[in-house]
Amino acid sequence: MNLRRFLAEAGTLVGLAVVCALVSNALAGKERRLALPGNYPNATTVTARPESRPLAAFEAVSPAVAPGVAESASPGPSGADPSPEAPIASLPAASTTRQPAPGEKAPAGPSNVAPSGGQTASLADLLGRFPVHGQPFVEITGEAAVWLHANGALFLDARRSKEFVQGHVSEARSFPVWEAEVVKERVEGLVAEGRDLSLPVVLYCSGGDCEDSHMLAQTLFGAGFENLLVYRDGFPDWVKRGGAVRTGGPA
Amino acid sequence: MTIREALTHPWLTVRTQIALGIFFIVAALPKIADPPSFAHMVYNYRLLPGPLVNLATLTMPWAELLMGVALICGIWRRTAASLVGALLVVFIVAISINLLRGNAIDCGCFDVADAGKSVAEKFHDMWMVILRDVGMLLLVAQGLLGADRAEGNEAA
Repeated sequence: MNLRRFLAEAGTLVGLAVVCALVSNALAGKERRLALPGNYPNATTVTARPESRPLAAFEAVSPAVAPGVAESASPGPSGADPSPEAPIASLPAASTTRQPAPGEKAPAGPSNVAPSGGQTASLADLLGRFPVHGQPFVEITGEAAVWLHANGALFLDARRSKEFVQGHVSEARSFPVWEAEVVKERVEGLVAEGRDLSLPVVLYCSGGDCEDSHMLAQTLFGAGFENLLVYRDGFPDWVKRGGAVRTGGPA
Repeated sequence: MTIREALTHPWLTVRTQIALGIFFIVAALPKIADPPSFAHMVYNYRLLPGPLVNLATLTMPWAELLMGVALICGIWRRTAASLVGALLVVFIVAISINLLRGNAIDCGCFDVADAGKSVAEKFHDMWMVILRDVGMLLLVAQGLLGADRAEGNEAA
Protein backbone atom coordinates (compact mmCIF):
# COMPACT_ATOMS: atom_id res chain seq x y z
CA MET A 1 0.00 0.00 0.00
CA ASN A 2 1.47 3.33 -0.92
CA LEU A 3 1.88 6.30 1.35
CA ARG A 4 -0.43 8.57 -0.61
CA ARG A 5 -3.33 6.19 -0.31
CA PHE A 6 -2.64 5.74 3.41
CA LEU A 7 -2.55 9.50 3.98
CA ALA A 8 -5.76 10.01 2.01
CA GLU A 9 -7.61 7.35 4.00
CA ALA A 10 -6.20 8.45 7.35
CA GLY A 11 -7.01 12.08 6.56
CA THR A 12 -10.57 11.13 5.64
CA LEU A 13 -11.08 9.15 8.85
CA VAL A 14 -9.67 11.88 11.09
CA GLY A 15 -11.47 14.62 9.15
CA LEU A 16 -14.76 12.76 9.50
CA ALA A 17 -14.12 12.40 13.24
CA VAL A 18 -13.57 16.15 13.55
CA VAL A 19 -16.75 16.91 11.59
CA CYS A 20 -18.80 14.46 13.70
CA ALA A 21 -17.30 15.95 16.88
CA LEU A 22 -18.14 19.53 15.91
CA VAL A 23 -21.65 18.66 14.72
CA SER A 24 -22.45 16.62 17.84
CA ASN A 25 -21.12 19.41 20.04
CA ALA A 26 -23.21 21.99 18.21
CA LEU A 27 -26.33 19.84 18.65
CA ALA A 28 -25.65 18.98 22.32
CA GLY A 29 -27.68 20.51 25.13
CA LYS A 30 -25.88 23.14 27.17
CA GLU A 31 -25.16 20.68 29.97
CA ARG A 32 -23.13 18.58 27.55
CA ARG A 33 -21.64 21.20 25.27
CA LEU A 34 -17.94 22.09 25.46
CA ALA A 35 -16.44 25.46 24.69
CA LEU A 36 -14.00 25.66 21.80
CA PRO A 37 -11.24 26.38 22.55
CA GLY A 38 -11.18 25.14 26.14
CA ASN A 39 -10.23 27.44 28.98
CA TYR A 40 -8.12 25.56 31.49
CA PRO A 41 -5.36 27.59 33.10
CA ASN A 42 -2.22 25.60 33.90
CA ALA A 43 -3.61 22.51 32.19
CA THR A 44 -0.19 20.87 32.05
CA THR A 45 0.83 21.43 35.68
CA VAL A 46 0.54 18.54 38.08
CA THR A 47 -0.67 19.82 41.43
CA ALA A 48 0.28 18.55 44.86
CA ARG A 49 -2.02 15.95 46.31
CA PRO A 50 -4.40 17.30 48.95
CA GLU A 51 -3.16 14.94 51.67
CA SER A 52 0.28 16.49 51.31
CA ARG A 53 -1.13 19.90 52.25
CA PRO A 54 -1.49 20.10 56.01
CA LEU A 55 -4.88 20.64 57.58
CA ALA A 56 -4.95 23.25 60.29
CA ALA A 57 -6.33 22.05 63.58
CA PHE A 58 -9.56 23.48 64.87
CA GLU A 59 -8.56 26.33 67.14
CA ALA A 60 -10.93 27.25 69.91
CA VAL A 61 -9.63 30.76 70.47
CA SER A 62 -11.30 34.10 70.21
CA PRO A 63 -11.09 36.01 66.96
CA ALA A 64 -9.11 38.78 68.57
CA VAL A 65 -6.28 36.40 69.42
CA ALA A 66 -6.53 33.98 66.55
CA PRO A 67 -4.66 34.66 63.38
CA GLY A 68 -7.26 35.51 60.82
CA VAL A 69 -7.45 33.97 57.39
CA ALA A 70 -5.50 36.83 55.86
CA GLU A 71 -2.63 36.45 58.29
CA SER A 72 -2.44 32.72 57.86
CA ALA A 73 -2.47 32.99 54.10
CA SER A 74 0.93 32.85 52.53
CA PRO A 75 1.54 35.39 49.81
CA GLY A 76 2.28 32.54 47.42
CA PRO A 77 1.58 32.65 43.74
CA SER A 78 -2.03 33.67 43.45
CA GLY A 79 -2.16 33.01 39.77
CA ALA A 80 -4.31 30.63 37.86
CA ASP A 81 -3.08 27.40 39.43
CA PRO A 82 -6.19 25.56 40.53
CA SER A 83 -4.58 24.39 43.75
CA PRO A 84 -1.61 26.40 44.90
CA GLU A 85 -0.27 25.81 48.35
CA ALA A 86 -3.13 27.72 49.87
CA PRO A 87 -3.25 27.27 53.60
CA ILE A 88 -6.23 25.93 55.44
CA ALA A 89 -7.85 28.72 57.35
CA SER A 90 -7.97 28.18 61.02
CA LEU A 91 -11.37 28.75 62.48
CA PRO A 92 -11.67 30.49 65.77
CA ALA A 93 -14.62 29.25 67.75
CA ALA A 94 -17.64 31.48 67.84
CA SER A 95 -17.16 33.19 71.15
CA THR A 96 -19.41 36.17 70.86
CA THR A 97 -23.01 36.54 69.92
CA ARG A 98 -24.20 39.71 68.35
CA GLN A 99 -27.50 40.40 66.70
CA PRO A 100 -27.39 42.37 63.48
CA ALA A 101 -27.72 46.06 64.16
CA PRO A 102 -30.90 47.75 62.91
CA GLY A 103 -30.58 48.47 59.24
CA GLU A 104 -27.69 46.07 58.90
CA LYS A 105 -28.03 43.75 55.96
CA ALA A 106 -28.65 40.16 56.99
CA PRO A 107 -26.12 37.63 55.77
CA ALA A 108 -26.94 36.35 52.35
CA GLY A 109 -28.56 33.00 51.95
CA PRO A 110 -31.77 31.70 53.40
CA SER A 111 -30.21 29.48 56.05
CA ASN A 112 -29.56 32.16 58.61
CA VAL A 113 -30.26 29.77 61.41
CA ALA A 114 -28.58 29.49 64.76
CA PRO A 115 -25.65 27.08 64.93
CA SER A 116 -25.67 24.21 67.36
CA GLY A 117 -24.38 26.46 70.11
CA GLY A 118 -27.39 28.67 69.76
CA GLN A 119 -25.34 31.54 68.39
CA THR A 120 -26.10 33.68 65.41
CA ALA A 121 -23.27 35.40 63.67
CA SER A 122 -23.62 38.85 62.26
CA LEU A 123 -21.96 40.09 59.13
CA ALA A 124 -19.19 41.44 61.31
CA ASP A 125 -18.69 38.01 62.83
CA LEU A 126 -18.54 36.38 59.41
CA LEU A 127 -16.04 38.93 58.19
CA GLY A 128 -14.16 38.90 61.48
CA ARG A 129 -13.54 35.19 61.21
CA PHE A 130 -13.16 35.08 57.47
CA PRO A 131 -11.82 38.42 56.32
CA VAL A 132 -11.21 39.18 52.68
CA HIS A 133 -7.97 37.40 51.82
CA GLY A 134 -7.09 38.75 48.39
CA GLN A 135 -6.32 35.33 46.92
CA PRO A 136 -8.35 33.27 44.47
CA PHE A 137 -9.28 31.01 47.39
CA VAL A 138 -8.31 29.71 50.79
CA GLU A 139 -8.96 26.12 51.83
CA ILE A 140 -11.05 25.52 54.93
CA THR A 141 -11.77 22.58 57.19
CA GLY A 142 -15.05 20.79 57.68
CA GLU A 143 -15.54 22.51 61.06
CA ALA A 144 -15.22 25.87 59.39
CA ALA A 145 -17.71 24.85 56.71
CA VAL A 146 -20.23 23.73 59.32
CA TRP A 147 -19.88 27.05 61.15
CA LEU A 148 -20.20 29.06 57.96
CA HIS A 149 -23.27 27.09 56.89
CA ALA A 150 -24.92 27.64 60.24
CA ASN A 151 -24.21 31.34 59.93
CA GLY A 152 -25.74 31.83 56.54
CA ALA A 153 -22.75 31.85 54.22
CA LEU A 154 -23.54 31.13 50.57
CA PHE A 155 -22.56 27.59 49.50
CA LEU A 156 -21.83 26.74 45.87
CA ASP A 157 -21.67 23.16 44.57
CA ALA A 158 -19.08 22.80 41.79
CA ARG A 159 -19.92 19.19 40.89
CA ARG A 160 -21.94 18.08 37.87
CA SER A 161 -25.68 18.90 37.80
CA LYS A 162 -26.46 15.20 37.98
CA GLU A 163 -24.54 14.83 41.25
CA PHE A 164 -26.17 17.96 42.65
CA VAL A 165 -29.61 16.48 42.01
CA GLN A 166 -28.62 13.27 43.81
CA GLY A 167 -27.72 15.20 46.95
CA HIS A 168 -26.12 18.50 47.95
CA VAL A 169 -25.47 20.68 50.98
CA SER A 170 -28.79 22.15 52.01
CA GLU A 171 -29.29 25.65 50.53
CA ALA A 172 -26.28 25.24 48.24
CA ARG A 173 -26.60 26.40 44.65
CA SER A 174 -25.46 24.34 41.67
CA PHE A 175 -22.44 25.78 39.80
CA PRO A 176 -21.28 22.79 37.72
CA VAL A 177 -17.88 24.03 36.66
CA TRP A 178 -17.46 21.40 33.90
CA GLU A 179 -20.68 22.49 32.24
CA ALA A 180 -19.15 25.65 30.85
CA GLU A 181 -22.31 27.32 29.53
CA VAL A 182 -24.41 26.55 32.59
CA VAL A 183 -21.79 27.85 34.99
CA LYS A 184 -21.19 30.97 32.90
CA GLU A 185 -24.90 31.85 33.10
CA ARG A 186 -25.04 31.18 36.83
CA VAL A 187 -21.92 33.27 37.53
CA GLU A 188 -23.40 36.13 35.53
CA GLY A 189 -26.65 35.72 37.47
CA LEU A 190 -24.82 35.75 40.79
CA VAL A 191 -22.89 38.89 39.85
CA ALA A 192 -26.13 40.53 38.74
CA GLU A 193 -27.63 39.92 42.20
CA GLY A 194 -25.31 42.65 43.42
CA ARG A 195 -24.08 40.71 46.43
CA ASP A 196 -21.46 42.07 48.78
CA LEU A 197 -18.37 40.58 47.15
CA SER A 198 -16.41 40.61 50.40
CA LEU A 199 -18.77 38.14 52.12
CA PRO A 200 -17.44 34.58 52.46
CA VAL A 201 -18.63 32.16 49.79
CA VAL A 202 -17.98 28.45 50.38
CA LEU A 203 -17.24 26.25 47.36
CA TYR A 204 -17.14 22.49 47.48
CA CYS A 205 -16.96 19.42 45.26
CA SER A 206 -16.39 15.76 46.09
CA GLY A 207 -13.31 16.09 48.30
CA GLY A 208 -10.20 13.99 47.82
CA ASP A 209 -8.22 15.26 44.85
CA CYS A 210 -11.28 16.89 43.32
CA GLU A 211 -10.37 20.34 42.00
CA ASP A 212 -13.71 21.46 40.64
CA SER A 213 -14.23 23.92 43.49
CA HIS A 214 -10.73 25.34 42.99
CA MET A 215 -11.50 25.89 39.30
CA LEU A 216 -14.81 27.53 40.16
CA ALA A 217 -12.96 29.76 42.62
CA GLN A 218 -10.69 30.95 39.81
CA THR A 219 -13.73 31.87 37.73
CA LEU A 220 -15.48 33.69 40.59
CA PHE A 221 -12.27 35.46 41.62
CA GLY A 222 -12.06 36.72 38.05
CA ALA A 223 -15.67 37.92 38.38
CA GLY A 224 -14.75 40.03 41.41
CA PHE A 225 -15.53 37.80 44.39
CA GLU A 226 -12.95 38.48 47.07
CA ASN A 227 -13.64 35.97 49.82
CA LEU A 228 -13.79 32.50 48.32
CA LEU A 229 -13.34 29.57 50.67
CA VAL A 230 -12.80 26.07 49.32
CA TYR A 231 -14.21 23.35 51.55
CA ARG A 232 -11.48 20.90 50.67
CA ASP A 233 -12.97 17.67 51.95
CA GLY A 234 -16.21 18.56 50.24
CA PHE A 235 -19.51 16.76 50.07
CA PRO A 236 -18.41 13.32 51.42
CA ASP A 237 -17.06 15.05 54.53
CA TRP A 238 -20.29 17.04 54.87
CA VAL A 239 -22.32 13.83 54.79
CA LYS A 240 -19.96 12.20 57.29
CA ARG A 241 -20.46 15.13 59.65
CA GLY A 242 -24.21 14.71 59.38
CA GLY A 243 -24.72 18.10 57.74
CA ALA A 244 -28.08 18.96 56.21
CA VAL A 245 -28.46 17.46 52.75
CA ARG A 246 -31.13 18.06 50.10
CA THR A 247 -31.86 16.28 46.86
CA GLY A 248 -33.37 17.63 43.69
CA GLY A 249 -32.48 20.19 41.07
CA PRO A 250 -31.56 23.83 41.50
CA ALA A 251 -34.47 25.96 42.65
CA MET B 1 1.31 -24.57 7.80
CA THR B 2 4.00 -22.51 9.55
CA ILE B 3 3.32 -20.53 12.74
CA ARG B 4 3.42 -17.33 10.76
CA GLU B 5 0.86 -18.68 8.31
CA ALA B 6 -1.36 -19.79 11.16
CA LEU B 7 -1.13 -16.39 12.90
CA THR B 8 -1.92 -14.47 9.74
CA HIS B 9 -4.69 -16.78 8.58
CA PRO B 10 -7.65 -14.80 7.23
CA TRP B 11 -10.02 -16.70 9.56
CA LEU B 12 -8.09 -15.37 12.57
CA THR B 13 -7.46 -11.91 11.13
CA VAL B 14 -11.14 -11.22 10.53
CA ARG B 15 -11.97 -12.15 14.12
CA THR B 16 -9.16 -10.21 15.82
CA GLN B 17 -9.98 -7.09 13.84
CA ILE B 18 -13.68 -7.37 14.71
CA ALA B 19 -12.74 -7.80 18.39
CA LEU B 20 -10.45 -4.75 18.21
CA GLY B 21 -13.21 -2.78 16.49
CA ILE B 22 -15.74 -3.70 19.19
CA PHE B 23 -13.26 -2.63 21.91
CA PHE B 24 -12.91 0.78 20.32
CA ILE B 25 -16.63 1.29 19.74
CA VAL B 26 -17.45 0.29 23.32
CA ALA B 27 -14.74 2.67 24.54
CA ALA B 28 -16.02 5.54 22.41
CA LEU B 29 -19.72 5.51 23.33
CA PRO B 30 -19.60 6.75 26.97
CA LYS B 31 -17.21 9.52 25.94
CA ILE B 32 -19.52 10.67 23.16
CA ALA B 33 -22.47 10.54 25.55
CA ASP B 34 -20.88 12.72 28.25
CA PRO B 35 -18.22 15.08 26.89
CA PRO B 36 -17.79 17.18 30.08
CA SER B 37 -16.89 14.10 32.12
CA PHE B 38 -14.42 12.97 29.48
CA ALA B 39 -12.98 16.51 29.31
CA HIS B 40 -12.34 16.18 33.03
CA MET B 41 -10.47 12.92 32.39
CA VAL B 42 -8.42 14.42 29.57
CA TYR B 43 -7.63 17.44 31.75
CA ASN B 44 -6.47 15.15 34.58
CA TYR B 45 -3.74 13.75 32.33
CA ARG B 46 -2.18 17.24 32.47
CA LEU B 47 -0.59 16.80 29.07
CA LEU B 48 -2.54 18.96 26.64
CA PRO B 49 -2.46 22.75 26.64
CA GLY B 50 -5.76 24.19 27.93
CA PRO B 51 -7.13 25.36 24.58
CA LEU B 52 -6.72 21.86 23.08
CA VAL B 53 -8.36 19.87 25.90
CA ASN B 54 -11.92 20.23 24.62
CA LEU B 55 -11.01 19.68 20.98
CA ALA B 56 -9.23 16.43 21.86
CA THR B 57 -12.14 15.45 24.12
CA LEU B 58 -14.65 15.84 21.30
CA THR B 59 -12.59 14.39 18.45
CA MET B 60 -10.91 11.38 20.05
CA PRO B 61 -14.05 9.31 20.76
CA TRP B 62 -15.41 9.92 17.26
CA ALA B 63 -12.06 8.83 15.80
CA GLU B 64 -12.22 5.69 17.97
CA LEU B 65 -15.77 5.01 16.82
CA LEU B 66 -15.01 5.46 13.11
CA MET B 67 -11.84 3.35 13.32
CA GLY B 68 -13.78 0.67 15.17
CA VAL B 69 -16.47 0.65 12.49
CA ALA B 70 -13.82 0.50 9.74
CA LEU B 71 -12.12 -2.46 11.44
CA ILE B 72 -15.38 -4.35 11.87
CA CYS B 73 -16.54 -3.71 8.32
CA GLY B 74 -13.12 -4.38 6.84
CA ILE B 75 -13.01 -0.97 5.15
CA TRP B 76 -9.53 0.58 4.80
CA ARG B 77 -8.38 -2.02 7.30
CA ARG B 78 -4.65 -1.28 7.06
CA THR B 79 -5.20 2.43 7.60
CA ALA B 80 -7.69 1.86 10.42
CA ALA B 81 -5.40 -0.66 12.14
CA SER B 82 -2.41 1.70 11.80
CA LEU B 83 -4.34 4.61 13.29
CA VAL B 84 -5.62 2.43 16.13
CA GLY B 85 -2.01 1.38 16.75
CA ALA B 86 -0.93 5.02 16.81
CA LEU B 87 -3.70 5.89 19.27
CA LEU B 88 -2.71 2.98 21.53
CA VAL B 89 0.90 4.18 21.53
CA VAL B 90 -0.29 7.67 22.46
CA PHE B 91 -2.37 6.20 25.34
CA ILE B 92 0.58 4.13 26.60
CA VAL B 93 2.91 7.15 26.49
CA ALA B 94 0.33 9.37 28.23
CA ILE B 95 -0.25 6.88 31.07
CA SER B 96 3.50 6.24 31.40
CA ILE B 97 4.31 9.94 31.72
CA ASN B 98 1.78 10.25 34.53
CA LEU B 99 3.13 7.14 36.25
CA LEU B 100 6.62 8.63 36.07
CA ARG B 101 5.55 11.95 37.54
CA GLY B 102 3.41 10.35 40.22
CA ASN B 103 0.09 11.75 39.02
CA ALA B 104 -2.59 9.18 39.88
CA ILE B 105 -5.43 9.37 37.36
CA ASP B 106 -8.42 7.43 36.14
CA CYS B 107 -7.61 6.31 32.62
CA GLY B 108 -11.01 7.31 31.23
CA CYS B 109 -10.65 4.48 28.71
CA PHE B 110 -14.01 2.76 28.97
CA ASP B 111 -15.71 4.74 31.72
CA VAL B 112 -15.79 8.48 32.23
CA ALA B 113 -17.36 8.57 35.69
CA ASP B 114 -15.12 9.30 38.67
CA ALA B 115 -15.05 5.92 40.41
CA GLY B 116 -13.65 7.37 43.64
CA LYS B 117 -10.63 5.08 43.55
CA SER B 118 -7.77 5.50 46.00
CA VAL B 119 -4.36 6.67 44.80
CA ALA B 120 -2.93 3.15 45.13
CA GLU B 121 -5.83 1.68 43.15
CA LYS B 122 -5.33 4.27 40.44
CA PHE B 123 -1.61 3.48 40.10
CA HIS B 124 -2.38 -0.24 39.95
CA ASP B 125 -5.02 0.31 37.28
CA MET B 126 -2.64 2.51 35.25
CA TRP B 127 -0.20 -0.41 35.02
CA MET B 128 -3.05 -2.71 33.99
CA VAL B 129 -4.09 -0.23 31.30
CA ILE B 130 -0.57 -0.26 29.86
CA LEU B 131 -0.64 -4.07 29.79
CA ARG B 132 -4.05 -4.07 28.14
CA ASP B 133 -2.96 -1.54 25.53
CA VAL B 134 0.15 -3.58 24.73
CA GLY B 135 -2.14 -6.57 24.26
CA MET B 136 -4.30 -4.58 21.86
CA LEU B 137 -1.15 -3.49 20.00
CA LEU B 138 -0.51 -7.20 19.37
CA LEU B 139 -3.97 -7.43 17.80
CA VAL B 140 -3.08 -4.43 15.63
CA ALA B 141 0.16 -6.11 14.55
CA GLN B 142 -1.75 -9.28 13.73
CA GLY B 143 -4.17 -7.27 11.61
CA LEU B 144 -1.37 -5.56 9.69
CA LEU B 145 0.45 -8.84 9.05
CA GLY B 146 -2.83 -10.42 7.98
CA ALA B 147 -3.46 -7.56 5.57
CA ASP B 148 0.07 -7.98 4.18
CA ARG B 149 -0.61 -11.62 3.54
CA ALA B 150 -3.95 -10.90 1.89
CA GLU B 151 -2.34 -8.32 -0.39
CA GLY B 152 0.46 -10.77 -1.15
CA ASN B 153 -2.11 -13.39 -2.17
CA GLU B 154 -3.89 -10.87 -4.39
CA ALA B 155 -0.59 -9.91 -6.06
CA ALA B 156 0.37 -13.54 -6.61
